[in-house]
Amino acid sequence: MTDNGSARSLARIWAICAKDAAQEARRRVALASVLFFAATALTLVSFAVGPSGFARQERGPLHAALLWILLFFSTATGLPRAFVREEESGTALALRTVAPATLVLAGKTLFNFLLFLAIAAVTVPGLGILLSWEVASPGAMAVVLVFAGYGLTVVSTFLSALIARAAQKNVLFVLVCFPLLVPLLLSSIAATAAAAEGSLASMPLRVILAYDGAATCGAYLLAAAAWEE
Amino acid sequence: MLATTLEARELSKSFSGPPLFSNLSFSASSGLVAVSGRNGSGKTTLLKILARLVRPGAGSVRVLQASREVGGDERRRAVGWAGPDLAFYDDFTAQENLVFFRRAAGLGAGAAAIRGRLERVGLEAVADRSVGAFSTGMKQRLRLAFALLCDPPVLLLDEPSAGLDDRGRARLAEVVAERRRVGPVFLASNDARDFESPDQVIELAGR
Repeated sequence: MTDNGSARSLARIWAICAKDAAQEARRRVALASVLFFAATALTLVSFAVGPSGFARQERGPLHAALLWILLFFSTATGLPRAFVREEESGTALALRTVAPATLVLAGKTLFNFLLFLAIAAVTVPGLGILLSWEVASPGAMAVVLVFAGYGLTVVSTFLSALIARAAQKNVLFVLVCFPLLVPLLLSSIAATAAAAEGSLASMPLRVILAYDGAATCGAYLLAAAAWEE
Repeated sequence: MLATTLEARELSKSFSGPPLFSNLSFSASSGLVAVSGRNGSGKTTLLKILARLVRPGAGSVRVLQASREVGGDERRRAVGWAGPDLAFYDDFTAQENLVFFRRAAGLGAGAAAIRGRLERVGLEAVADRSVGAFSTGMKQRLRLAFALLCDPPVLLLDEPSAGLDDRGRARLAEVVAERRRVGPVFLASNDARDFESPDQVIELAGR
């Protein structure tokens, strides 16, 4: 692809992301439901577990697991909307006639990734305050959130395209999403626990990066099969 | 505009049971191609196959520009499609919808270019109104503007006059008369008034 072609593709990806953001800004359906879920879960977890229910050395892995459970289910509430909304509103046909599946997938992944970062920006400090969870290395935590969040977003968005025309979309999404995301979630929990202790765990991070690469390649190669008839 | 040919070879399609159509072959470089047949004969499906929105069961569709087959974005921009199930973003205005689709197609979306297309179908006065508040006829006009969005040499219009008033029909007739001179216009309809002296007729018998 030439530089001109790459710049044009990026502009098209951005146009699709900006359109989703403008729709979300007007309706606030995904953001409201996701943040409401995150706030409810955070409150329940803080009451159930509390800041002092466990010894300090036991809290790291527990808090990391709670964080990723929260992030997984929060994203599972909002991210499947990416393609489902296009199918339900009938706009998928118009979108298919003007843009290839790979660019549509990239645009929607970008929007979902920004949505994930917004969820994380609320959830991580919220969990820290409610459970008195001190993160020794915020930089390492940010690295883990960005890379693991990217993998979570790519897989979720791709699956959204795959299930958009199926019956029982939401149930199907969670059932298919969970086994695919288990390796990423386990590595993310380990890397998050290490970041909370002040270190950047290299092995879980490598697994996350490898997962991101494989998920990106798989989604790119299968985008047309998932989105086009 | 480059001379463009749409060529279909031995197309067949069936959903369940006997085929809607089989071994359908045709080619057009300009003029009006009337696609007719009773309800359920496969007119909409055929146009969607030509627009690459539905895969044929067998056969192929090629778009040729200067005897060269085009694909990818070139093909997308060479073929404009509008059909009854083409929908727009209800939260957005007519202008916002067209701006988005032009940008998603990788083309500039200057205000003048978009206004020009809305004027072509008589929607300039409601350009800033949400599509959700549009009547059936206004949505139909917007579908025609969408088909013309990338200035495609090939037009595929499925029931384009459904819901249109007399002025809307006149605008549609103007567009078809103008575009059939520069490229093929495939028009599927149940209304014989839509086919003014067609250059070619594809009659689908149905199953």
